[in-house]
Amino acid sequence: MDAKQTDKLLTKHDLNRLWYRWGFTHLSSMSYEKLQGHAWAYSYIPFAKKFYKDDPEKQRRLLERHSMFYNTEPQTGQLINGIVASLEEQIALGNDVSEEMPVNIKATLMGPLAGIGDSIIQGIIVPILLSIAMSLAAGGSALGPIFYIVAYGILGPSISYFAFHSGYKLGVSAIDTIVGENSKRITDAFNILGVMVVGALSAKTIVLETIAKIPLGGKTQNLQVVLDNIFPGILPLGMVLLGWWLVSSKQISATKVILIMTAIITVGSLIGFF
Amino acid sequence: MSSLFIPALLTGIFCYLGAIESPWLLGMSGGYYIVGRPLVAGLLIGLAFGDIQAGVLCGLAVQGVFIANLNTGGATNSEIVYASYGGIGLAMATTKDPAIAVTLAILIGQTFGLIFYNGRMALYSFWNTRAEKAAHENDTHGITLNHLVYPQITTFILRAVPVFLAIYFGKGLVDWLIHSIPEEVTHIIQVLGGVLPALGIALLMSIVIKNKTHFIFFFAGFVLLAFAKLSMIAIVFIAALVAYMYYFASINKGNGGDGNTATQSSAVNTADEYEDDDLF
Repeated sequence: MDAKQTDKLLTKHDLNRLWYRWGFTHLSSMSYEKLQGHAWAYSYIPFAKKFYKDDPEKQRRLLERHSMFYNTEPQTGQLINGIVASLEEQIALGNDVSEEMPVNIKATLMGPLAGIGDSIIQGIIVPILLSIAMSLAAGGSALGPIFYIVAYGILGPSISYFAFHSGYKLGVSAIDTIVGENSKRITDAFNILGVMVVGALSAKTIVLETIAKIPLGGKTQNLQVVLDNIFPGILPLGMVLLGWWLVSSKQISATKVILIMTAIITVGSLIGFF
Repeated sequence: MSSLFIPALLTGIFCYLGAIESPWLLGMSGGYYIVGRPLVAGLLIGLAFGDIQAGVLCGLAVQGVFIANLNTGGATNSEIVYASYGGIGLAMATTKDPAIAVTLAILIGQTFGLIFYNGRMALYSFWNTRAEKAAHENDTHGITLNHLVYPQITTFILRAVPVFLAIYFGKGLVDWLIHSIPEEVTHIIQVLGGVLPALGIALLMSIVIKNKTHFIFFFAGFVLLAFAKLSMIAIVFIAALVAYMYYFASINKGNGGDGNTATQSSAVNTADEYEDDDLF
């Protein structure tokens, strides 16, 4: 399948068109049923018109195989779009690549890329840029939001663009880069980075303090002061561990976790603890 | 009241542009991840209302609540975009008080926002069915219409219109809320605002924590901030160092016998797939 590396069909313009058609519209018709599925068919319309204009049957099969359920992190996930572009190019050239291949690649890779992409983008990049921007915005300065707009405005599209083009260049060999033995170690290491940042984030962003007072040697003292001396942030930590336990071990939906937390806060407030 | 027309209209349009399904600013990159963030929403609404400082202050307060907002597999813990534009917009139209913005954002994000969001997610199967039919019939025009044009018209109606109406006619509602909600309830909502990020973080944890040994790294990160009071940027560099050492430790697995069995077993266990669709 990688025999005819020299046979190139797609121009730079074709590739960029695949990139931005997906880049702009990936979630346009999102539903729980299909999520990003139809964005694929939409991004392949110019491709179909250019290479299959004399063969409606092949064009129909192309559009059909890109109308299936699909969901990944759409910026890092452009890597898959790049790989699939290289496969579709070979199919259009009539080379020995089966038409199931792009479908299988999409189904195999969307899970791993969603995992690593969500933890890097939603778990590391966005919260860190936001915490920097929030400190710049103190006092109502527009500098904070402007910093975030510029920083993510450069970072997000760059990740997307480079992911697509490296996916296309590497082709199927990129799969080894994603699910191979060495990449497992790299993603595990990134994962450790993510876990530590998430730990720090939970100490930084969750605010929960008790207003209860406890008798201590004849006079009362704020329980929070006592707690801060023993273990600062123990209440936020307890809350996040409860949340993790409910979501992860008990498989409880996010909405129900909100209700449970609301109940705890309500009861705690009414008895004068929070 | 007519001086409110243009700012309310702009806020409604921003709420559409920041939606997760909005395509105009390179999809999620410029839409959901930039215009959809409360801090950016504060700046944009501040511009619309001609008071940037008050807008940014409201955005800053709301951003604190929604910093760990998460959307995986189409499911979300709170509808951050309705929350931002509804909450900050209504606050800017009335008292410009950040505490009011936070209260309204939480109420909108956890109730109306989630209902509208989940309703739309269910509704769009209708457009999907039509787009799939268009693919079967080799109708590229039909794909464009049912993937892009019709869903975007629907989403504009579902985003811009309610937010515009809420801000344009919502002054009475906010006054009523301020005066009739008992102090206990306001207090509970404020405490809840501090706790809400815990859910987003819990969802993140269920993505990144793949076995129990990972909790050591989680607690290390927590302690570096809570005890050692380091900044986030400092912790990122320390975490990068730890991750680098972890990478090297996992290369040596198989050589055996050098006492890093804990690392070895965790490296083996992490062979699980990075699935995130079973979180909800």
